[in-house]
Amino acid sequence: MVTITNGKPPVLVIVQLTGGNDFMNTLIPYTSGLYHDVRPVVGVSEDRVLPINDELAFHPCAAPLKEMFDDGDVAIIQGIGYENSNRSHFRAMDIMHTAEPNSIATEGWLAQALREIDPDTKNVLTGISFGRGLPRAMAAPGVSVTSVGDLDSYGLLTSVEIEEHRARELDIFKRMYTPAIGSGPVMSYLHQTGGDVMTGADLLKTVPANYRSTVEYADNPIAKSLRDVARVHTSGLGTRIFYTQHAGYDHHAIEVPNHERLLTELSGALRDFMADLREHDAAEEVMIYVFTEFGRRIADNGSGTDHGSGGGAFIVGERVVGGLYSDYPSLDPADWANGEDLAHTIDFRSIYATLLEQWMSVDSSEIVRGKYEQINPFAA
Amino acid sequence: MTTVAHPADTDIDLLGHLYRRAGFGATREQLESYAKLSYEDTVEALLNPDPKRDIQDDVLERYIHGEGPPIFVAGWLYRMINSEAQLQEKMTLFWHHVFATGLVKNEHVLAAKNQIKMFRRNGMGDMTTILNDLSRDPAMLFWLDNNENRNGEPNENYGRELLELFSLGVGNYSELDIKDASRAFTGWTFEQPPPLYPHGYYPAKFLFREDDHDNGEKTFLGVTGNLNGGDIIDIIVKSPASARFICRHLYNFFVADEPQVPSWNDVPPLDPEGIAMMEAKFIETGGDIRSVLRVMFNSDFFKAARYKKVKSPTEFIVGVLKMVGSQTEMAPGMTKYAGAIDVMGQKLLDPPTVEGWHTGGEWIDGGNLTERVNFAVDEIGEGLAPGIQALVQRIKDSESLGSAESLVNAVLTETGYVEVSDRTREALIDFANDAEGEDQTTRVIRMLRLAVATPEYQFA
Amino acid sequence: MARPYGLLRAGFPYVKTLGMRRITNFPIDIALGNEDRIYILCRQENAAMIRKYNYADEDLGSIGSWGTDEGQFQWPVTLIADGDENLFVSDEALNRITQFDREGEVLSTWGEKGSLDGQFDRPAGMTFDLDGNILIVDSMNHRVQKFTSDGKYLDKWGSRGSSDGKFESPWGITVDEIGDVYVADWGNDRIQKFSSDGEFIFAFGSSGNGDGQFNRPTDVAVDLDGDIYVADWGNDRIQLFNSEPRFVQKFLGEATLSKIAREYMLTNASPNRIRDMANLEPQRALRRPKSVVIGDDGRMYVTDTDSYRVQVYQKEVIPLDATQIAPPMRSPTLHQE
Repeated sequence: MVTITNGKPPVLVIVQLTGGNDFMNTLIPYTSGLYHDVRPVVGVSEDRVLPINDELAFHPCAAPLKEMFDDGDVAIIQGIGYENSNRSHFRAMDIMHTAEPNSIATEGWLAQALREIDPDTKNVLTGISFGRGLPRAMAAPGVSVTSVGDLDSYGLLTSVEIEEHRARELDIFKRMYTPAIGSGPVMSYLHQTGGDVMTGADLLKTVPANYRSTVEYADNPIAKSLRDVARVHTSGLGTRIFYTQHAGYDHHAIEVPNHERLLTELSGALRDFMADLREHDAAEEVMIYVFTEFGRRIADNGSGTDHGSGGGAFIVGERVVGGLYSDYPSLDPADWANGEDLAHTIDFRSIYATLLEQWMSVDSSEIVRGKYEQINPFAA
Repeated sequence: MTTVAHPADTDIDLLGHLYRRAGFGATREQLESYAKLSYEDTVEALLNPDPKRDIQDDVLERYIHGEGPPIFVAGWLYRMINSEAQLQEKMTLFWHHVFATGLVKNEHVLAAKNQIKMFRRNGMGDMTTILNDLSRDPAMLFWLDNNENRNGEPNENYGRELLELFSLGVGNYSELDIKDASRAFTGWTFEQPPPLYPHGYYPAKFLFREDDHDNGEKTFLGVTGNLNGGDIIDIIVKSPASARFICRHLYNFFVADEPQVPSWNDVPPLDPEGIAMMEAKFIETGGDIRSVLRVMFNSDFFKAARYKKVKSPTEFIVGVLKMVGSQTEMAPGMTKYAGAIDVMGQKLLDPPTVEGWHTGGEWIDGGNLTERVNFAVDEIGEGLAPGIQALVQRIKDSESLGSAESLVNAVLTETGYVEVSDRTREALIDFANDAEGEDQTTRVIRMLRLAVATPEYQFA
Repeated sequence: MARPYGLLRAGFPYVKTLGMRRITNFPIDIALGNEDRIYILCRQENAAMIRKYNYADEDLGSIGSWGTDEGQFQWPVTLIADGDENLFVSDEALNRITQFDREGEVLSTWGEKGSLDGQFDRPAGMTFDLDGNILIVDSMNHRVQKFTSDGKYLDKWGSRGSSDGKFESPWGITVDEIGDVYVADWGNDRIQKFSSDGEFIFAFGSSGNGDGQFNRPTDVAVDLDGDIYVADWGNDRIQLFNSEPRFVQKFLGEATLSKIAREYMLTNASPNRIRDMANLEPQRALRRPKSVVIGDDGRMYVTDTDSYRVQVYQKEVIPLDATQIAPPMRSPTLHQE
């Protein structure tokens, strides 16, 4: 377990790369002849990559991530996955969210952690997900998570344009949802929930006005989400788990320009986010976990890459011991999964256990259903 | 069917209740026109829809193109909003809740669509046909691994869930019954369809593989013989436990929220007498669902059960859209409503597990309550949609603008929510008083927005 | 060029398949350009465009996208090209016609919703007439309207109904080489033929799935021999009639894998396994073909809409003069010479 010197409770920020990030084109085995042979279209030439050693290099569009890696703030989890990796987006994402590859489970791994952290929902903002609808990772019965579509207009009756109308209508809403004795269990619960929403909205309403920063984020969805995380976190509302998503990684076709754009957006947003937190002296207690549902096929299909396995994840933060963790999946065709995929070298539940136990101080055995060997990516 | 007009005896509020449950809601104006039939004749018309007056497949297919789940859901929602066969659509949704099959595992959108189509076709038929069709449905066979259920290597997933979740309920069979029921379904599989690439989904077809079927002697619920899957279904439908189980499902879906299904072995029904009436009809007719529905909708317990159910996201959204009247013609962009249902916690074609969605209060959490309220308020918006304009006009014409009390009554009546708590009513009356100085149209629209934001509006 | 006196129909073999899922999703219509260029109109909810393509099965880019802005589509129905490959697209959701040049620059946009002259309620089929004007099926107004190619209203005919000359939600339209007009009268399960000024000439077809019957015909085409091709959508087939119109033959589909589909499959092991396990007979068949287009070279292009591809067939006929084919007979005969 890590002790945070400023005494603040640890915070976990999840960045989900939706669609299956091409790990092989994110951390590139640039000196492998095979890489260039099987990826004639999407392969990145040796003269463009950003090497970190004699074998591996960052994609040229991930320069900010490379800089953070050089500063020792990035742990790269190579070859993350699980046995018999599922190639369906939905199922594979579900497996990542529930930490259960073998049967269909309903409780999210982070929701279960939230239940440990704030069992009575003393703070309706302990868990916040940016984006509409809850990702299953954050959902479990009895766990209250606030999902924020747009922080600047978060709340109820947001489509009512005239501000004084909205204020008056919200007053009435609050009255209608005030708990009343004798209204029955379901109605009481509904009242309580409506009240919680109002409480959360009232708290979050103060955020935009309180935030000042010299960091200028780029104009793209992940930068916007991470800026929202920074705004809420620096407001000190007690949020412990933030969830964000960056979509569009499903590059079956025309991968080169699109993946370049996403990597540019992602790595720039991560750099700006960290800079913003430092400016607010609020970086040390934050750990970022970047993951995706699967890696992609080793060979390209003439335009992009199809669904595969053996992906990669990143842990980013000031308290990280930067470097490479686990092993890069073998490029020897004899070792490929299904004869065409990267074989995983570390189970994703090892990383969940690591993050939960060592960073969040939450017992992980029930959440990941067993013991998985942890890595040690945090400086004591 | 002879229809006799009984305008005087048909209570419009009762018809509103019937249409919220047996359908997806109706405007006050529609209810007034339906009131030309007696309540019983209305039930009968819902039970026996005229296929010619249903939404036609070819018209939907002409305009809505594409293969993804939201595109299919868009077409389904169009039916829920506009089909006169309201109960048929509601029963289609009902069986989707009960025989919950998910794309998260199956991935095959066409197989999912065909399953829904099957529910539309047989959903009000007899239970034997329903279970036989289900047991031959490729989406179900794959979902519960019956394609792996082979002679000598039985896979018990389908056999177990058929008994536990689809027909009898926990406590009404033994582990040995599961084993032998599973053996009876060995060899029930489907023919491999071509893959999605490069030419799209192809339908999977049921296949009985004689060489994979276990022809040995089996014993199921006390009956012994060389039983096949069809024999198992016959025994199930004759068993009183299936009558109880299916009627409880119908009650939970149409009458009032029951505890969640897994507890049914331990927790008795809310209304044992009501369930007993339905069960008796189920047994008498050998499992004719239409007959059971007739008894249920005509019963006093149904008529009394107003606002006893939390609306599912689908019911909520379709109800709002029917009131707003913006989706009476096919138009692009209806997929956004599939997305809206999803963010409220009900991804159609993708229930969370084989148990289906948990209902009642479990539909609600902070995020999806926000989505619900904002959706309804947003759809009313500035009142430009045709349904809202008509509603505003009716309220103005009803001469109820005179007092805040009468305005609140009119607004609640028009939106179908007559019974609200005193506190809700007082809050609305205060609001109506406050807004008195405003332009009357604006005032009514603001009242309508609040009416759909009441806690009571979450209930059907 | 006059129609031949008679025809020796040697065959109408299948030639090739173009496109695949993700390249040509839900092709609803095609237009032929010069030098084997083909423009394929693709339509689904939230994704619509013109795929620029060629006969060698190569993706040359796309024009347009889903949306309501100028140059975008929501529910595009028909694509036609003039001799300079200016492209015209009808959109039945936006009630407008958009004209592009072949590079995709928008040249003009016209049309609005309504039932007055020149207004539309779901414009569907389109064709050039012999004067270069455009005939447009105004589907939910159950009529045909004529415009100049820059959108000036000229004429209209038709109204809702099922008697001669009336329509029920009509869809496709074509003009033959002498200027007569054929309309796929979708909801009436028939094809109607009119003179160039809208005089009813004949109708054929009835509801059903027998030869010469239709289930919601979506498109009609006529070649230089006067042969009539009908996209019999709901029956998943194309039917061929002679000019009388007598049923000649039908096309149920004989697709093979296109070049790009073969390339795709070579990098995808699991679909290959699934194909190996599957009954492939259904993969040959047409599924909901929405349009049929005939090239001057006798090639028949069918948009095999629900299978994300275009199937191509080649007409093989030898024209016969009056010495090569006996005079018409009024009754069938069992004589063999």
